[in-house]
Amino acid sequence: MAGPSVADRIADRAAAATPMTVVRTVRGLTDRAIAWIFVAPTIFLLLAINIFPLIWTINLSFTNYRANRLTRPAEYIGLRNYERLLTDPDIWHNMQVTAHFVLWTLFFQVVIGFALAWLINRQFKGHGFWTTIIVLPMMLSPAVVGNFWTFLYQPQIGLFNYVISFFTGVDPSSFDMIGSVALAPWSIVIVDTWMWTPFVMLICLAGLRSIPESIYEAAEIDRASPWRQFWTITVPMVLPFLMLAVLFRGIENFKMFDLVVELTSGGPGSVTELASINLKREAFEKWRTGYASAYAIILFVTVFGLANIYVKALNKVKER
Amino acid sequence: MAEVRLTGVSKSFGKTVAIRDVDLAVADGEFVVLLGPTGAGKTTTLRTVAGLERPETGTVHIGGKDVTRSAPAERDVAFVFQQYSLYPHLTVFENMAFPLRSPARRVPEDRITERVGQVAEMLRIDHKLANKATRLSGGEMQRVAIGRALVRDPSIFLMDEPLSSLDAKLRAGLRVELKRIQYELGATILYVTHDQIEAMTLATRVGVLNQGRLVQIGTPKQIYEDPDDIYVAGRLGSPRINLVPAGVIAVPAPPGTATVGLRTEHVEIGRDGTPATIDRIEHLGDQSRAHMTVAGTPFTVLVDAHTDLAPGDSVGLSPRAPLFFDAAGTRIRA
Repeated sequence: MAGPSVADRIADRAAAATPMTVVRTVRGLTDRAIAWIFVAPTIFLLLAINIFPLIWTINLSFTNYRANRLTRPAEYIGLRNYERLLTDPDIWHNMQVTAHFVLWTLFFQVVIGFALAWLINRQFKGHGFWTTIIVLPMMLSPAVVGNFWTFLYQPQIGLFNYVISFFTGVDPSSFDMIGSVALAPWSIVIVDTWMWTPFVMLICLAGLRSIPESIYEAAEIDRASPWRQFWTITVPMVLPFLMLAVLFRGIENFKMFDLVVELTSGGPGSVTELASINLKREAFEKWRTGYASAYAIILFVTVFGLANIYVKALNKVKER
Repeated sequence: MAEVRLTGVSKSFGKTVAIRDVDLAVADGEFVVLLGPTGAGKTTTLRTVAGLERPETGTVHIGGKDVTRSAPAERDVAFVFQQYSLYPHLTVFENMAFPLRSPARRVPEDRITERVGQVAEMLRIDHKLANKATRLSGGEMQRVAIGRALVRDPSIFLMDEPLSSLDAKLRAGLRVELKRIQYELGATILYVTHDQIEAMTLATRVGVLNQGRLVQIGTPKQIYEDPDDIYVAGRLGSPRINLVPAGVIAVPAPPGTATVGLRTEHVEIGRDGTPATIDRIEHLGDQSRAHMTVAGTPFTVLVDAHTDLAPGDSVGLSPRAPLFFDAAGTRIRA
C-alpha cells in the first residue's frame, strides 16, 4: 500500500497536536519513571478503596463510634468490643451456622463436582452441550437465584417440593424448606450447591484433562485395575486442583451474603443467619459501627488465618 | 519369556492406514528392532502387541496363545514409553514397585523391595530410590521407566523409542547397558526406533517399516549388505548410500537396472575409472569424506583420515559390490 497507514496518520496527527511543553517533559523521563506513571493510578485506587478502609476499620474497632450519630465524638474503649464479641453466645451461634453452611456446601460441591467432571471427561457424544447446561447456574446473579428458589421451595406450588413428593410420596405441602427451623439450614446448602457445583466441576475437569493418557496406558499394562488407577493416579493428580477449588469456594462461602439474604434473610429466627448477615445487621441496622468493625476484623483474621494454613497444605500436596 | 507372532495385522485411524498386513515373529530371547521414519507404523505395531490398539484384521499370538482380543493386563507384556510416563506423585521406588503391587500378582512386600533393589542397582539408580520421580534428569527418568519394566518377568519387553529424548552421550551409554541387560536376562525385546545406529548395535534382527508395511526383516548385516529394495538400502548407512542413475558410473549392470547403489566405503579413489572432481573434504578424525558431483549427482566417498585430496582435484572412481535396482526400486540380484 502506498503512503502511511491510517494508524500512522493518526499517530502523526496526535504527535503534532501535543503541546511542545508536554513533549519536552515526556522526553526527559526515564523508563522507570514512565513505569511508575502507568502503575500509579492502580496503586492509588488500591490504597483508597482497600488499604485505607482496612486501617480505618481497625481504628474504629477500638471505639464506640456509631455512624448514625455523627455529632457524638467516638471514644476509644480499648479491646472492649473484642471482649464482648468473643464472649457473646449469639456470635458463636452465627459462627456455627456459618461453619455448617461452609462445610456442607464444600462437601457436596466437591463430591458432585468431581463426579460430574469425571463423567464429562469420558468425552461421550454431546459432552460439550452438557457442559454448557451444567455450567449455566454459575452464570446467574446470586440475587436472582435466591429469589427464584423461594418460588421453587413454595410448599403449595413449588417445583422442589413437588419433585421430593414425587420420589418419596410425602405430601408436598407438609414441609416448608425455608420456613422450617430444621430444614432452612439445608435449603441454603442445596441452593448454593446447585449454583456453584459447576465451578468445582470445571476446575476438576481441567485437572483431569492435564493427566496424560499414556500414564493410564502404563498403568493398564502394569495390571492396575480401573479402581486402582482411580485411587493411585486420578485422585492424587487432581487433588491440587480440587484443593484450589475448595479454597475458592471456602472463602466465598465464608463471606456468603446475597444469596442467603434473598432466600431466607437469615430466618426463621436466626437459624440461617450467617456471620456476614449478622455483621450487616450490627453495622447498618443497629448502627453499632465500632462493634461491627471489631466483628469484621475477627472474620477477616479468621478467613485469612484459615486460608493461609490451607495454602500451606496445598503447597505440600503440590510438592508431593 | 515367550515367542510373539503377528499375522496379517492391519490397523487404520480414520482414513490413515497405520500398518497394513504386517507379519512378524519375535523368537524367544530375540532382540528385534523396528526401524522406520515417523509415521511408518512402528509405534502402532508395538501398541498392537501391547493391546493398546486393536487390529482391524490379523491376529496376535503371545507364547502360542491368541491374545488379539485380550486387554493389555491379560497379555503379560512390559512397555517402556517414549515420554517415560512415570507416575509423577510417586517416588522412584514406588514407581518401580507399582507393577509388582498389582493385586493380581500378589508379590510379598519383602520380595518387592529385593527385586526393585536388584533392578535399580543394575540400572545404577539405587541411590535415587527415595527421590520423587519428577525430580530426576531425563536419563534417570528413562532408567526408572526401563526399571519399571524390568522388575517384572513378562513374556516380552516392548520399547517405544526409549532413548530418543536423551542427549547423544547418555543415549550411547544406555544403549550399551540395554544390550548387556538383554544378554544377562535373555529377554525377548521388541524395540522401536528411527535411529539406525541403535538398530544396528542392539538388534538380533532389524525390521524395516515403510508406510505401514514391513519391507524387510533380517540380521543387521543382511539388511545392510543385502537390502531387498532401494528404500531399505537408503535407510541404513551413514553417510547415506550413493544412488546414481544407471550408466553414470562404469559398472557392468544387469538388464533392467535403473539405479545403481554404491555404499560410500565401496568406492576406490584412484587415477582410473569414472572421472569426478572433488567439491569438498570433511575431516571427521577417524575418517574423512570426499564430496563430489558425478554427472550432476552428489556423490560421497569414504577416504583415509589422513588423505591429501583437496577440493578441485580430478580423480577416478572404481566401484566394488554395487547394488542394482529396477525402475520400481526393487533389487535386481545378479
